[in-house]
Amino acid sequence: MSDTQWPRWEVFKQDTPNKPHQAVGSVHAADPLHALLTARNVFVRRPQAVSLWVAPASAIFSVTQEELAEGPKPSPESTGVAGAYLLFRKTSHKRSMTFVDYVGQLEAPSPQAALEQALRQFTDAEALAWWVIPASSVVRSEESPETVESWFAPAKEKTYKQQSYYGVVGTHTSKLRGRGGADES
Amino acid sequence: MPGKFGTPTDPDYALRLAEFEARIARGEKIEPGDWMPEEYRRQLVRMISQHAHSEVVGMLPEGAWITRAPSLKRKMILIAKVQDEAGHGQYLYHAAETLGISREEMLEALLSGRAKYSSIFNYPTLTWADIGTIGWLVDGAAIKNQTMLAQCSYGPYSRAMVRICAEETFHHKQGKEMVIAYAKGTPKQRQMAQDAINRWWWPALMMLGPHDADSPNSEVLIRWGVKTKSNDTVRQEFINEHAPEILATGLSLPDPELHQDPQGNWRHGPINWEEFWSVVGGNGPMNKERLEARRRAHTEGAWVREALEAYAAKKSPIPMAV
Amino acid sequence: MSPKAQAALIAKLTALADDELILSHRDSEWTGHGPILEEDIALANIAQDELGHASTWLSLRQALDGTDPDRLAFFRDAEEFRCAQLLELPKGDWAFTMLRQYLFDRYELHWLSAATASTYPPVAEAAAKILREERFHLQHTQAWVERLGQGTEESNRRLQAALEGQWGYAQQLFVPLPGEEILVGEGIVPELRRLKEDWLENVTRHLQASGLKLPLPPGYQPHSREHHTEHLWSLLAEMQSVARWDAEARIW
Repeated sequence: MSDTQWPRWEVFKQDTPNKPHQAVGSVHAADPLHALLTARNVFVRRPQAVSLWVAPASAIFSVTQEELAEGPKPSPESTGVAGAYLLFRKTSHKRSMTFVDYVGQLEAPSPQAALEQALRQFTDAEALAWWVIPASSVVRSEESPETVESWFAPAKEKTYKQQSYYGVVGTHTSKLRGRGGADES
Repeated sequence: MPGKFGTPTDPDYALRLAEFEARIARGEKIEPGDWMPEEYRRQLVRMISQHAHSEVVGMLPEGAWITRAPSLKRKMILIAKVQDEAGHGQYLYHAAETLGISREEMLEALLSGRAKYSSIFNYPTLTWADIGTIGWLVDGAAIKNQTMLAQCSYGPYSRAMVRICAEETFHHKQGKEMVIAYAKGTPKQRQMAQDAINRWWWPALMMLGPHDADSPNSEVLIRWGVKTKSNDTVRQEFINEHAPEILATGLSLPDPELHQDPQGNWRHGPINWEEFWSVVGGNGPMNKERLEARRRAHTEGAWVREALEAYAAKKSPIPMAV
Repeated sequence: MSPKAQAALIAKLTALADDELILSHRDSEWTGHGPILEEDIALANIAQDELGHASTWLSLRQALDGTDPDRLAFFRDAEEFRCAQLLELPKGDWAFTMLRQYLFDRYELHWLSAATASTYPPVAEAAAKILREERFHLQHTQAWVERLGQGTEESNRRLQAALEGQWGYAQQLFVPLPGEEILVGEGIVPELRRLKEDWLENVTRHLQASGLKLPLPPGYQPHSREHHTEHLWSLLAEMQSVARWDAEARIW
């Protein structure tokens, strides 16, 4: 078997129960459970999270606004089946740590059809990019309180990773200007 | 995907380039799948993968001190910091992957010695105070660059940078806190801190890149919103912040010509670019060891990666279109 | 608490902390050298968690006798440490590290679950808190054992070799300290002998399901935490080298 870095899985993190799952990046992992565990290790080093989803990058049908304007885009063959699809959408060019947010699930004969349906259904904001993912390929963290406590709560106590832990150290630059610099702080 | 990455020989290149530059001017982010000049893609792959390699190689000089950290708190902080560097490498490889290059290809480039990474990691960490000094100076310089790159026109790179900046500020602060504590500590601690500052000050200035006049990629990168400031501008910001803060601890800086000009800018003496290019060229004290450590980890990990693939093939095959 | 019970509790807290501290140290040796970036990050999480647990147990000791946790970690000699020998063994290959972590996580899960019922509230609270992280560790290392056991011939062989090397050492986790029966009698800590049955049943089932050969001949089984492997001295010499480098230093 040839050596690889394992397949890529996109990771979706939900920060609080009232917020949507958001695409935060990807992990390389070998199988679904491993991908989910890895996502927790990589993306929950800091608060905060209450739920994680992962999906193989190869199962994602992605379309940008620019691509939409150019006409239909063929979706990946491996995923072109009827069933439930999860829809994710990007709506802002603002600086952010996340890309597309979860907007909802719908039944469709193909990813392309799911996208067309989404364009009619989710019209509350301009869409700059879409991801369409078969629900069957999404792996989700357990929702039990025990799992949430075990996977997501401890990060809140690792305060040494927060800059606020170090308080104000030294004298701020603004106070030093023009003082020649050699004073004791 | 053909046609996504435009070259000047394409019939519609001028038109598409104008649209592309107008998008950037409007503050829009370019996302994977959008049209972009092949040169934009090439420059981004070069920068992002170099940046990712720097994070990964950058784990080594500090990682070597995890087992010697002198208190429970420092040990915890250092594991978390070096772990963050792995995480940052991971985010950045992801950003580069969206441009159609695989992690395997990037790693191969690193391990074969073809790819570059920040030459500062080819300096040795000689004492424990180097850990604080790297946090304060090297991460301090890196943050200046990263804050700028968080504005970058390419969506995935910008997002990686926003996340990295949010995490990295702790690296800077823990280093600064440590050096300040040692500057006020015992004579041995103070001496150790001074020695570390002496060794890391110049490499930190160099790591922000050659002077603008000698930086061939800068112009196009600024036009396409990848970089928003020149190397010299970023370097000046770094010195203006760090020089007075370090001097305020009672430690000195190894530059007899360092002074503040009437505009308030701290001016440095001449940088030894010969040393810089020599280290970039592979002749730094640690170039060979750093690469060797990465190669060893990769080689020794091969059976592990194979084992998990074999397990997955038996248990849960997934569509592998990539 | 009687003076005798207090002395026994101080000894127990120290042993709990030493296990975590030395395991964390061994895990942290992988930082920067893992088989893939993602796993580097994963193991660094575990190393931080275990180090955090060491600090927790040491702070419980500090509340009893005022000893500074850093003094205990960085200024005690090897013969004063009370870690189990399993945790001192060099990190070995990835199979060795994952298996040790799994065997230890499984033991900790049983111990902590029982210790949440401690009659000494600080132990019960600490156990409940640590238990949260250990649940995730166990999911992680259990998954790794299964994958290495059922992966390739090579990964199975390496894991089996690790198991044969660690099996006897792992039994020491269930050897009580001198005087521990006082704490058990007062309901402060769980009785190890009972936990061992659960542990043995669980690990045997999972290891066998992962394609490993059990039962194993017990081999060398360390019986006292006063004795150590030849590795502990050099581990501590490295770990304590900076802290001891400047006798005058008060703050690190």
